[in-house]
Amino acid sequence: MNGPIRRLALAIFVGLALLLANVTYIQLARGPEYRDDPRNPRVLLARSSKERGTIVDRSGKILARSVQDPLAQGGFIRRYPQGADTVHAVGYSSLLFGDRGLERAYASELRSKEDVTISDMVAALLGRDLRPQSLVSTIDLDIQRIATEQMDGVEGAIVALDPATGEIVAYVSHPDFDPAPLLDATSAPAGDALEADPDQPLLDRVVAETYPPGSTFKIVTLAAALENGVASPETPFDDPVEFDLPGSTATIRNFDRSTCAGGGEVELAVAFTRSCNTVFADLGIQVGADRMVQQAELFGFGDPVPFIYDVVASTIPSADNFTNNEAALGQSAIGQRDVRATPLQMAQVAAAIANGGVPMQPQLVREIVDADGATISTTEPVPGPRAVSEDTAAVLTELMIDVVENGTGRNASVAGLTVAGKTGTAETETGPPHAWFVGFANDGARILAIAVVVADGGSLGDEATGGSVAAPIARAVFEGWSQQ
Amino acid sequence: MNRTAEAVLLAGAAAIAGLGVTLVNLARGGGVDADVGLTIVVFVLAFGGLHMAMRAWAPRSSPYLLPIASLLAVIGFVEVYRLDDRLADLQRWWILIGAFLAATLVFSLRNAGTEVLRRYRYLLLITSLAVLLLPLLPLNWSFPLRGRLVNGSRLWVALDLGFLEIQFQPGELAKILLVAFLASFLAERQQALSLMTRKIGRFSVPEPRQTVPILLAWIASFAVLVYQRDLGASLLLFASLVAMVYAATGRASYLMAGGGLFAIGGLVAARLFSHVESRVQAWLTPFDYYDTTGYQIAQGLFAMGSGSLSGSGLGLGRPDVIPFASTDFVFAAVGEELGLAGSVIVISLFALLVAVGFGIALRSRDLFRKLLAAGLIFAVGLQALLIIGGVVRLFPLTGITLPFMSYGGSSLLANFLIIALLARVSHEERV
Repeated sequence: MNGPIRRLALAIFVGLALLLANVTYIQLARGPEYRDDPRNPRVLLARSSKERGTIVDRSGKILARSVQDPLAQGGFIRRYPQGADTVHAVGYSSLLFGDRGLERAYASELRSKEDVTISDMVAALLGRDLRPQSLVSTIDLDIQRIATEQMDGVEGAIVALDPATGEIVAYVSHPDFDPAPLLDATSAPAGDALEADPDQPLLDRVVAETYPPGSTFKIVTLAAALENGVASPETPFDDPVEFDLPGSTATIRNFDRSTCAGGGEVELAVAFTRSCNTVFADLGIQVGADRMVQQAELFGFGDPVPFIYDVVASTIPSADNFTNNEAALGQSAIGQRDVRATPLQMAQVAAAIANGGVPMQPQLVREIVDADGATISTTEPVPGPRAVSEDTAAVLTELMIDVVENGTGRNASVAGLTVAGKTGTAETETGPPHAWFVGFANDGARILAIAVVVADGGSLGDEATGGSVAAPIARAVFEGWSQQ
Repeated sequence: MNRTAEAVLLAGAAAIAGLGVTLVNLARGGGVDADVGLTIVVFVLAFGGLHMAMRAWAPRSSPYLLPIASLLAVIGFVEVYRLDDRLADLQRWWILIGAFLAATLVFSLRNAGTEVLRRYRYLLLITSLAVLLLPLLPLNWSFPLRGRLVNGSRLWVALDLGFLEIQFQPGELAKILLVAFLASFLAERQQALSLMTRKIGRFSVPEPRQTVPILLAWIASFAVLVYQRDLGASLLLFASLVAMVYAATGRASYLMAGGGLFAIGGLVAARLFSHVESRVQAWLTPFDYYDTTGYQIAQGLFAMGSGSLSGSGLGLGRPDVIPFASTDFVFAAVGEELGLAGSVIVISLFALLVAVGFGIALRSRDLFRKLLAAGLIFAVGLQALLIIGGVVRLFPLTGITLPFMSYGGSSLLANFLIIALLARVSHEERV
């Protein structure tokens, strides 16, 4: 009798031994995988229970801070006092939708490391500071607000930065949204609604959307011509009503469908001030595909602008695409056809010229400070590769000042400031043009570079031009900046 | 080991319960509250009382049973308390009532012993079948005893006392009664069942009429499966009864026949009920069915994986996100908060309990008591094996409770009674 009973007992023991093996496998061998699985709610819940540091603007105004979560005892939740105004500049930390912007780029610094794990306790005993660190942003909240206000009701982006350091003082993408409904555990419907919104408020148009740059790209064409000695500002060009694109029946006309300066011949400088397409299509073809593409790449086209956020690369087709297709080259030289640029890329073009030919990497964080307010690290300016020579930068600056003083950019001029710039009215296949202004203002001591794009003509629709829609926005930002 | 040592170990278990509740209180961020004292009092009363009952009416019973059972109950209770205060309040009552019933059973059997069960075996059989069918009582009728539909299974009975409605799963009690019946039946027919008098081809088979009990067991458990849609309880019942037939006869052919019948039953069930197939899918690839049937298993794996070696600490994990954490998945909750260390302790305690139980069976000189003890401890061991195995993906998940640990009155009461019966059997061997 005892034989079978022993075997039954043995069967249970073997089963229990298998349980031991299996549970060891699950908890130790596969443990880290299960623990870190994004579907594991603990990943999310652990985050919510941690305090994060504050994010302040360059003068200490609060952009983001942690408060006790009213829904989860002992948990923290983010508050963004500036609401929609800073949502794309700062990002947000949502329980259900994850981290965006600075909240993501600096997640490990912002997050408290105060865990109850033994390794963290050991680290604390060894003197490591586990408290959350805080960020000092480069954003100037006053200018940010002025810029945001300018974009009311339109789609587009503004990015304004200091050419000497790359520090971004205003970073606006519109339409925007208030991140508050996205933050807590009940935010799923609000988040789904934002994702489904046809106006795409979640899209960061500063870095994640490209637009045809239109005539603002003439800065690049002009730089290529100057750098390669193809032309000087005084070089005379033919001034037809229409420029016949070689090898094609297509023509290029000026914006007002007439000559640039009354016919005959026109100096390149005048053509730039008046933004004459006929002349710049001609100039682009004279510069040639290789040198055009090379100059665009020196300004940063072809690669994403180096930045803490994911940036979409601005594009110009490779030189091969223009072989035996000078028509395409002529259209590209005036920023049409397949040329596409992010607002941040065009701001970098302006900033490079303002900074004597060298673009600085754009920055959004000045300092990381610890919980006691002591600075842990300060962001150092990082120069990028030179885009144009100092001489070319100086000539371009003069010509861009003339655009604002005497040409299409007059709406950007501000009394007491030297403003340089270039407007753009980029044709689109689908509707009204995109209005651009790219340039910089100098108050004698400081410089502010800017790129403004208003998609689909903004409130003016088909009637919109860069000069009528985008330049006044740049002026408002320059004015706000100059009063500081 | 003597009864004094047992008392010391029981006091230790009660202290651990108090400590566990204290830790949960602290982890919640509040102060230590009255639950600590209440819990210690309940465990001292329940297991202290049972200990005194053993001293009085079954003094020669094994002193190992109660300490192991109490430690399992303590770990389970603390985790249930951590998951849900209100369930813990009820669980305290169930522990008290279970201990009281166990003591009552020991008292009732003090003179006549388990012999009573042997004598009235057909009463046991009829009672167990009746009890098994109780959940099929109409859901809504004026009689105060009604069936209950819980999670799609008709496992529950509600007793409406007017001022209070008590719900219980009679299947747990029926299991004990059936085991006792079969032990008695087999003890008498052991000879006849072991003789394989007939031959079919190369195989020896017993007289057909001697196979009645195993067919009866199959029918009873299949009825549970079909009417109550409860795969786990059905398998547990069937396997326990087949194991007892095997223990009585030593004939592996009964195991094979049982396996064959189970396979047939399983295949039919898979055809009849979609949830059998989906359970198998959720077992094999839980993450492919994450949004549906695999969710609970996946959450259990997340919990245990997050627990790692030493666990998050009591009250510091998030086992509350696992569906049915306090019943089916209490093992995963312990695995998260006490880590692999806690998991190993729980499995080891079950191994110890199973060893003690089978030890009692092996030492019994009387066939009935031998089979009774073996059947009861096999059922407890298999139940632990099946549900933990379901949680750690050794088997498909079956919705049964973890003995002594899961929240649930019926399960606790039944397991207390099993401990009392095992104690009584061990006492009788040393008279």
